[in-house]
Amino acid sequence: MFGYVVRRLFNLVPTFLGATFLAFLVAQLVPGDFLAQRALEPNVRPETIQRLREQFGLDQPWPVQYVRWLGSLLQGDLGLSFSSNQPVWDLIAAPIRNSMVLVVASLVLLYALAIPLGVFSAVRQYSWADQIVSAVAYFGLAIPNFFFAQVLILGLFLLRGFTRDAFGFNELLLPVAQMTSSDFSDLNAWGRFLDVAHHTILPAFVVATSGVAGFTRVLRAQMIEYLSSDFIRTARAKGLGRRSITYKHALRPAVIPFVAGIGGILPTLIGGAGLVEIVVSWPGITPTLLAAIARQDIYVVLGLVVVTTLLLMIGNLISDLLLAAVDPRIRYD
Amino acid sequence: MHRMSSFLLALVALATLAWASAQPLTWPAAWTSAEPGEAQYGGTFRVSALSDPRTFNPFVSAEENDIVDAADATTLLQQGPDSDAFVPNMAESFEIADDGLSVTMTLREGLRWSDGEPIDTDDFLFAYEAQTDEDVGSNAYDGWFIEGELIEMTAVDARTVRFDFPKEDRLALVVAGYLSPAPDHVLGAIYREGGAEALKEAWGTETDVSETVWATAFVPVEFLPGQRIVFERNPYFGEWNVDEQGNALPYLDRYVVEIVESVDAALNLYLAGEIDAFSPSNLDQVGVVSQAIRNGDIDAELLPNVAPVASSQFIVFNWNKASEPAKEALFRDVRFRRAMSHLVDREAITELVYGGSAAPMWSDVYQAYAYWVNPDVPKYRYDPERALELLAEVGFTPNDDGVLVNDAGEELAFTLATNAGNDQREQIAQIFADEARAAGVQIDVQAIDFNLLVDQLLTTGDDRPFDAILIGLQGGNRIWPWGSNVLPCDGNLHMYNQSGACLTDAERDAERLYGEGRRTLDTEAARQIGYAIQARMAALQPQIFTVSPLAHFSWASDVAGEHPADLIDTVVGVRQLPLTFKR
Repeated sequence: MFGYVVRRLFNLVPTFLGATFLAFLVAQLVPGDFLAQRALEPNVRPETIQRLREQFGLDQPWPVQYVRWLGSLLQGDLGLSFSSNQPVWDLIAAPIRNSMVLVVASLVLLYALAIPLGVFSAVRQYSWADQIVSAVAYFGLAIPNFFFAQVLILGLFLLRGFTRDAFGFNELLLPVAQMTSSDFSDLNAWGRFLDVAHHTILPAFVVATSGVAGFTRVLRAQMIEYLSSDFIRTARAKGLGRRSITYKHALRPAVIPFVAGIGGILPTLIGGAGLVEIVVSWPGITPTLLAAIARQDIYVVLGLVVVTTLLLMIGNLISDLLLAAVDPRIRYD
Repeated sequence: MHRMSSFLLALVALATLAWASAQPLTWPAAWTSAEPGEAQYGGTFRVSALSDPRTFNPFVSAEENDIVDAADATTLLQQGPDSDAFVPNMAESFEIADDGLSVTMTLREGLRWSDGEPIDTDDFLFAYEAQTDEDVGSNAYDGWFIEGELIEMTAVDARTVRFDFPKEDRLALVVAGYLSPAPDHVLGAIYREGGAEALKEAWGTETDVSETVWATAFVPVEFLPGQRIVFERNPYFGEWNVDEQGNALPYLDRYVVEIVESVDAALNLYLAGEIDAFSPSNLDQVGVVSQAIRNGDIDAELLPNVAPVASSQFIVFNWNKASEPAKEALFRDVRFRRAMSHLVDREAITELVYGGSAAPMWSDVYQAYAYWVNPDVPKYRYDPERALELLAEVGFTPNDDGVLVNDAGEELAFTLATNAGNDQREQIAQIFADEARAAGVQIDVQAIDFNLLVDQLLTTGDDRPFDAILIGLQGGNRIWPWGSNVLPCDGNLHMYNQSGACLTDAERDAERLYGEGRRTLDTEAARQIGYAIQARMAALQPQIFTVSPLAHFSWASDVAGEHPADLIDTVVGVRQLPLTFKR
C-alpha cells in the first residue's frame, strides 16, 4: 500500500508538468497580450506600451516566460498579476475560499435531497411517485444552472409582489445576489454565519439540483439490487421492521460508492460552481477566472489552473485509497 | 492721519489675507438640485461596480484606478458639472503666465490627510515624481510629456507650486490641474526607502484599507474582495469643503460600493432594494426598472435616454494596401468613402440595435462633448441613390444581377472585421453589409478576436492586413477632445493611414489645426479650431461614424442632491458625492 502511494506521487510530477505546459501554451496561443487593449487609448504612446511589455517580461519568447514561471512556481511562487501588481496567491485565495463555501453547502444539500429521494424511489419502484421523482430530478439535470438561478430570482420577485398585495409583506424571502449583506461587518460571528447561510441557499440549491438526478438514479439502482439480495431476505425472515431493513441493511452498502467518490469532490470544491457564480455575483473562482482571462492576466489564470490541477490529482489519489479501504475486493500491492 | 490710515489699510489687508487664506472650498448650490438648507447629515449611499479595485495604490494602474475616482478624486483644480472651465479645488487660486508657459497654483490652508497630517506641496511634488518615474509605470506618465518634452514641476514654497511647460498647451493644464496629491509621509517614505519596486508593492488589495490615507470626501474602511468596499466620511474633508450655508461636507456617513459580476446582478440588487442607484445599459433594463417603479417594487427616479455616451463607433478603411493596389486606390478615394457613409443607415441602427436609444454621429468628437461638437459638418446621410452615383464616378456600375462591377468585370467587394462578442458592433456591421449588398456591394463581415483586430489595426507600413474595421474609441477630456495619437499622421491611432506620413491635404490641415488648437489657451477660440478640424475630417470621411448610444440613469427616491436635471449627462454624471444626502 505504501509503495503504491509513493509510486502514485511520483506519477504526479510528469502529469503536473504536462498540464501546466499545456495551459501555458494555450494561454500563449491567444492573440495579443495584457497590454494589447491599452494600445487603443488615445493618449498612450507606443513607447510606453513597449516599456511596460519589457517590465512585465512579455517581450520574451514564450518558452523563456514558461521556464521563468515554472522556476518561481517550484519555489512556491505563483507570480504577480499584471493588473494589480500583487502576488497571484493573494488574489485567488479569497475566491477559492468563497467557492468552497458554496460547493460544500451544495454538496450537503445534494446528499440531503438525493439520499431520501433515491431510497423513496427504490422502495416504490415503478410507482407514480417513483416516476414523478425521476421526472423532477431529470428536469434539474436538464435545465442550465445559470438559467435556473435567474428563474428562481424572478420567482422571488413575483412572490414579493404577491405577498405585498395580499398581506402587505414587501420583503424578498432570499437575497438575490452576493454572499453577504452590506451591513455584514456590523454583525457578530453568529450573525455573519447566518447572513452567509441566507445568501447561500439559492445558489447552493441551484448547484445541488443538477447533481440530484444522477445521484438519485444510481442510489435507486443500488438500493433495488440490495433490497432483492439474500441477506435482506434473511433479515425480513427474521421479522425485522421495514424501516430497519431499508435504512440499516440496504442503504449502508448502497452508499459505499459515494463514500469512495468523496475524493473526486475535492477538485469540484475549488472548481467553483460555474456560471451560477456570475448570475448571483458570488465572489468565487468563476468570476475571478473569467475576468483574468478577459484581461489576459495570464499568471492569475495559470495560478488557478495549477491549484485546480493539484487538487484534482490529490483527489483522485484519495478516491482510489478510499475505495480500497471500503471495498475488500480491491488491493494495490 | 495719512500714516494712520495706511497702517489701518495694512491691518485690514492683513486681516483680509488671513481670512482669505483660510477660505474653505464652497460647493456651489448650482451643482445640486437640493433646496438651500434641505440637506441632512447621515445615511448610507449604496452603488454597484462591475469589478474589484485591483489595487489601492494610486501609481500602479495599468488600468484606470477607479477606487480613487469612486470616492471623488481630490485634485488641484476641477471642472464643475456646469461648465468646462477650470475652477479651484485643492488649489485656492491659480494663475497662468501671460506667455502660457507656466501656471502657478496656491494650495488652500487647512488641507489634511485622513490621518490628520497636513497636505502640502511635498505631497503634490511626490505624486509628480512618482508619476514621471519610468520604473513606476504609472498610467499618468505619458501625460507629463508634451511632444516628448517633460512638464517641470517645482515647489515655490510650502503652499505654492509651479508647472513649467515646454510649449503652450491646453492639455498641460489638464495634466497639472488634475494632479492629486499622494501621501508623502507614507508612500513617499516607502519610495525613498525602496525605490520604484517598493512603491509598486505598497497598498495592494490585501492591504488593510483602514491603514491607507486619503484626501477624498470618503475613505475606504473595509474591503471584502469580490463583495464590497465600505467608505466612511473623511472627518478632515469638511474642514476645507463646505456648502453655501457653510455646512461641512460630505453629508453622508457612508458610501458603499457593492461589487457585482454582471449588470444583470446589479439590476437584481437594485430591484431588491439593496443598492440605491443603477444605470440601465439598454432599453430592456429601462423597461424592467420602469415596471418595478409602477408596481411599487421600488421607489425610484428614472431618467431614460439622457445623453450620448462618451465613446465613438466607426468604420475605418485601410489606405495602406500595397499588395492590392486596386483596393488601395479605392479606399483612398474620398468618393468611395462618402458612398459608403451614404449606405450606413443610422436610423435603422438606432432602431434595431439600440431600440431607438441612440444619436447619429457625424463628426470625430463624441456626442457627449456637446460644447465641442460642430453641428454644421457635411453629413453623408443614408441615401443609396447618391451612393450609386458616387460609385459610378469611381467606375463601378451594376451588372445584370445588380452587382457593382468595374470595366474589367471585377466586383466591388471587401471584408469588414469587428470584434467577436460585441453584439452591438456585430449587428451594426451586419446592417451595413445588408444595405451595401442591396446596392450591389459585396461585404464579407468577419467577427474576430478583439486583440487580433487591434493588432491588425495598429500594424504600420505600406501593406496592412485588413480592408475595413468597425471599432470604437473612448477616453479623452473636455479641454481638447482629440487624443494625441489620432490626428497627427504619425500617431499610432491614425488608423486609416499608417504609412507614417500624411497623404492628403485634409490630413495635413487637421494635423496643423490639432497643434494649433492645443496651443490655444482661450477655450472659445480653441472650439472654433475644433470646428474646423471636424469640417475637414467629415468631408474626408476617413472614418465613417455611426451612432452614439444614449445613457439612462435611475436612483432611489430617498437619495437626493443630484445635479439639476439639465446638467446630468454621461460626462459629469448624476451627482457630486459630497453633495449627496439621504432624505
